[in-house]
Amino acid sequence: MSNFDSGPSIKSYNKFQDWFDFSKTGSIRVYSGKVDIGQHISSTLALIASKIVNINYDQVEIIRLDTDFTPNEGITASSLSVANSGSAIKAASITLKTNFINYALNHLNINNEDIQFENGVIKDKNSNKSISYWDYAETDDYKNTIIPEQFDEEVLKKITYANNQKIELKNIKEIVTGKYKYVHDINFPNMLHARIVRPHSYNCELVKINEDFKKRLIENNINLFVKGSFIAILSPDEFLAVKFSELAKNQIVWNENRKLSNDNVFNSLNTNEKESLIVKPGGEAFNEKIPEIQSFDQENIVTLSSEFRKNYLMHGPIGPSASCSIYSNNKFTVYSHSQSNFALKQSLSSYFNIDTSKVTIKFMPGSGCYGHNGADDVAFEASVLSKAYPDFHILLKWTREDEHCWEPYGSASINKLFGAINDNGQIVYWSNEAFSDTYLSRPSNEELYNFTSFKFLNNDFTKIRSKPKTSAHMGIHRNLDPLYNFSKTRLVKNLVHDLPLRTSALRTLGAFANITSSESFLNDLAFAKNIDPFKIRKNHLDDERAIEVLENLENTMKKSHAKPNNYRGIGFSRYKNSAAYCAVGVELNISDDLDIKLINAWITVDAGEIAYEDGIKAQAEGGFIQAASWSLYEEVLFDTKEIISKDWDSYKIIGFDNIPIFTTNVIDRKGSPYLGVGEVVAGPTGGAISNALRDALGQRIKTMPFTKENITSDLLN
Amino acid sequence: MSKVECKLNVNGLTKKIYIFEDKPLIFALRNDFGLTGTKLGCGLEQCGSCAVIIDGEKKLSCNLPAIDCQNKEIVTIEGLGTDTSLNSVQEAFKKFNAAQCGYCTSGIIITVSSLLEKKNKPTSEDILNALDGHLCRCGSHSVVLKAIESLIEN
Ligand code: FES
Ligand code: FES
Repeated sequence: MSNFDSGPSIKSYNKFQDWFDFSKTGSIRVYSGKVDIGQHISSTLALIASKIVNINYDQVEIIRLDTDFTPNEGITASSLSVANSGSAIKAASITLKTNFINYALNHLNINNEDIQFENGVIKDKNSNKSISYWDYAETDDYKNTIIPEQFDEEVLKKITYANNQKIELKNIKEIVTGKYKYVHDINFPNMLHARIVRPHSYNCELVKINEDFKKRLIENNINLFVKGSFIAILSPDEFLAVKFSELAKNQIVWNENRKLSNDNVFNSLNTNEKESLIVKPGGEAFNEKIPEIQSFDQENIVTLSSEFRKNYLMHGPIGPSASCSIYSNNKFTVYSHSQSNFALKQSLSSYFNIDTSKVTIKFMPGSGCYGHNGADDVAFEASVLSKAYPDFHILLKWTREDEHCWEPYGSASINKLFGAINDNGQIVYWSNEAFSDTYLSRPSNEELYNFTSFKFLNNDFTKIRSKPKTSAHMGIHRNLDPLYNFSKTRLVKNLVHDLPLRTSALRTLGAFANITSSESFLNDLAFAKNIDPFKIRKNHLDDERAIEVLENLENTMKKSHAKPNNYRGIGFSRYKNSAAYCAVGVELNISDDLDIKLINAWITVDAGEIAYEDGIKAQAEGGFIQAASWSLYEEVLFDTKEIISKDWDSYKIIGFDNIPIFTTNVIDRKGSPYLGVGEVVAGPTGGAISNALRDALGQRIKTMPFTKENITSDLLN
Repeated sequence: MSKVECKLNVNGLTKKIYIFEDKPLIFALRNDFGLTGTKLGCGLEQCGSCAVIIDGEKKLSCNLPAIDCQNKEIVTIEGLGTDTSLNSVQEAFKKFNAAQCGYCTSGIIITVSSLLEKKNKPTSEDILNALDGHLCRCGSHSVVLKAIESLIEN
C-alpha cells in the first residue's frame, strides 16, 4: 500500500459540507459533480462512500448535479469520473470515518475495543450510550475539518473494506418498471413542446417561409419562432409540434452558402491544408520542425509501411438529445443531460449577457452516448426559445434525423505508419502520423460558435478553423505515443482543415484510430519476423502492470483453442499512457460473403483499485461492443449536398446477433488510485478485431469499417 | 384539423381521449396517459425502444395510429408488473443490473416478456429473432443476454 492522493476536486472543495449532507437522519446524501451517462457513476460513488464510512449502501443517496450547489468537477469525460469524483469521495469518506471514530471515543469516553459500529452509529458495548454520524455532523469539528490532499499509509491501514460487493444499481428498479425519468419525460403544467426546423446541411441561410403555411400555423395555434435562420415550431401538444415541424420542411426556401464537400474525405485528409505538430514521448505536442522518416539499408532490418483509414463515426444515442428550459424572473433554469453542465452555465450566461448566478443547470438523465453529442446544442436551443417565451417551460427534443445529421461526429482519420524491426525482434524505429479533424470543439463562453445553432441565430456562416491542442494525449494525438519502448519514435499529429463534417469529442477521441492502427502495425512487424503477438508486446514493455495484464489475457485465452475457421487477434493499450490498462482478445469467423461474426471476447483490465467490479465489467464489455460496432459497421455517409446517414437504416450499428461470449477479468490493485475504465477497451478492441481479420484473410484490411465493400476493395488493391 | 374520440385500454384501464386521427400510439401513451416508460428513439420502426404489447403481440408504437388500437388490450412497461411484484423479466433485469443508461431497456423487456408469454422455453434463435431490431448504444447486450438466459434456465 502506498500513499493516496485525493485528486483535483479536493483542492477546490475540501470541507465535508462540500460532499455530504446529513440533514436526513439515517441517510447520507453525497454530492458529486459527475453525472450518469450510462456508466452508473452514482452507484459506484455510493458504493465507495458506503464501504469506507461503514454504512449500508442503501443509506447512501447521490445527489444529482445542480450547478447551484454540487461541486464543479469539470466535464464528465475522459474516463475521469471515478478517478476524480471517486477519489474525492474516498478522501472525504476516509476523513469522515477517522474523525468520527476519534470524536466518538472522546465523547463517549471509551476505548476502541468497546465500540460497536453499525449503520453509522457507534455504541459503547457496556453502557449502550451511542453517537451517530448525524450527531457528529452538527459539531464544529465536522464543520471545520479540512479534507487532506494526501493520506499516508498509516491512516489508510486503519480503513479496511472489501472490493467485491454485489449491489443493486441505484436506478435499476425504476428503469425496469419504466419509472426512471429522463429529460424527455419532463412534464410541467405550463409547457411548450418544441422542434427545430433545419435545412438540409450546415451552411444554409433562410430566404423565406411560405406565407400560407404561416397562416396555417396561426389557425392551429402553433407558435413559430424565427431568429436569423434559426427556426422552431412550438405547441403545448407535442404531437402537433412534431407534425408541423415536419410539414414545415417543404415550406421554407434556403440559400446554400457552401456545399458540404467536393471530395472523398480520405483525399481531403491527404491534400487539405493542415497544421503539423511533433508529439514527443510523454504525449505532448510541439510546434517544431517535423523530421523526415529515417531510412534503413542494413540487411538485418526489415522495414514496413502502412496506412489505416477510418471514416466519420457518430455518437448515436438511442434517444435523441433533449432539454427543458424556463426563463422566469430574469433567470434561466435548464434541465440537461450534458456532460459539461458547468461550462454550459458559463456559455449561456455569456450568450445572454447575464450574470452566471442567473443560470442554473440541473442534470437530468438522457440516453447513453459517451461524448459530445447533441446534448449541449439542444440545451442552448431550449434556452434561446425559453427567453422568447418567458414563464413557459420549453421542452425541446431533437429528432432522430437531427441527432444523426447535426451532432458533432468523431472525425474521419488516416494513420500512416512506418517501422523497422531487427533480427532480434527489436523495433528500432517507429513512425506514426495521424491526420484528422479536431476532437475538441465543446462549446464554451469563448467558443459559443461551437453550438450548432449559433451561426443560424446570427446568420454568420464564416468558417472557423480550430487550433491544434498540445497537452499530453489531447484530441488527435491521444495514445499516438505508444507505451512500448521502441528505440526511436517519430510521432506527428496533423490537424487537417476544411473537412466537410462537424466533429468533436467521441469516446476515446483519437485513441481509437491511433491504437487500432498501432496494434495492427505492430502485428505486421511481428509477422515479418515470425514473432508471437504476445511476445512482441511483452518484449517492448517495462511496465509490470502492463505485462501482467497481457499475461492474464494470454493465460485466459490459452484455456481454449480457436475452432476450425475461427481466427484470433489481440490488442493492448494503457489509456492516455496514464489511466487503466487493458488487453483484449477476439475470436471471429468470416463467411464466404465476408460477413464477420464475433465468437469470443476476452478482456483483462487493470483499473487500479476496484471501485465497483461489476460496474467495471459492464463498462468494459459495453466499450468492447461499441468499438466492435465502429470497427465492423459504422461510417457516416454524405454527398455534396447532405448527410445521407439520416437514420439507423443508413447508419448501421451492432445488434444482438453479433455479441460474442465474454470472459472479463479485472485485476484489483488495492490501495492504488482509481483509473477510469469507460474508454480503455475501445482501442485494443479495434486492434484485436483487425488482427484476427488479418489472420483470417492473410492480408491486412486497412479501411474501417470492415464491411464487405471495404474488405473487397482493400483485397483488390 | 379536428380531433376524434378514441377509447384505449391501457394496462387494464380504459380511458377516452380526444386526439388527431394520425396521432401515433406512443404520443397518446406518453402525453395523454402520462405513461412515459415507453421511449421514442427513432419514430421510424428501426430501434425497438417504443415497443408495447397489443393483444399479446409485441408492436412498435411510434408509427401506429392510436385510433387503430381501440378495442385492444395494450400493455406498456408500467403494466407488466405491480409496484410490489415485478414480472419475471423485470425481476431478472433487476437482479443482473441489465441496463446502462436504460433508454433501450423498456422496449427490450417488453419484447422478452411477450416472447416468454408465448413460449416459456425459447431457443437462442428465438431470442435473437425477437431482439432483432432492438438497438442499444451503451453495449448492455452481454448483460441483457445473461439476464434473459437466467430466465430460461429456471
Ligand atoms: S421509436 Fe419506434 S422503433 Fe424506434
Ligand atoms: S442501455 Fe443505453 S441504450 Fe441501451
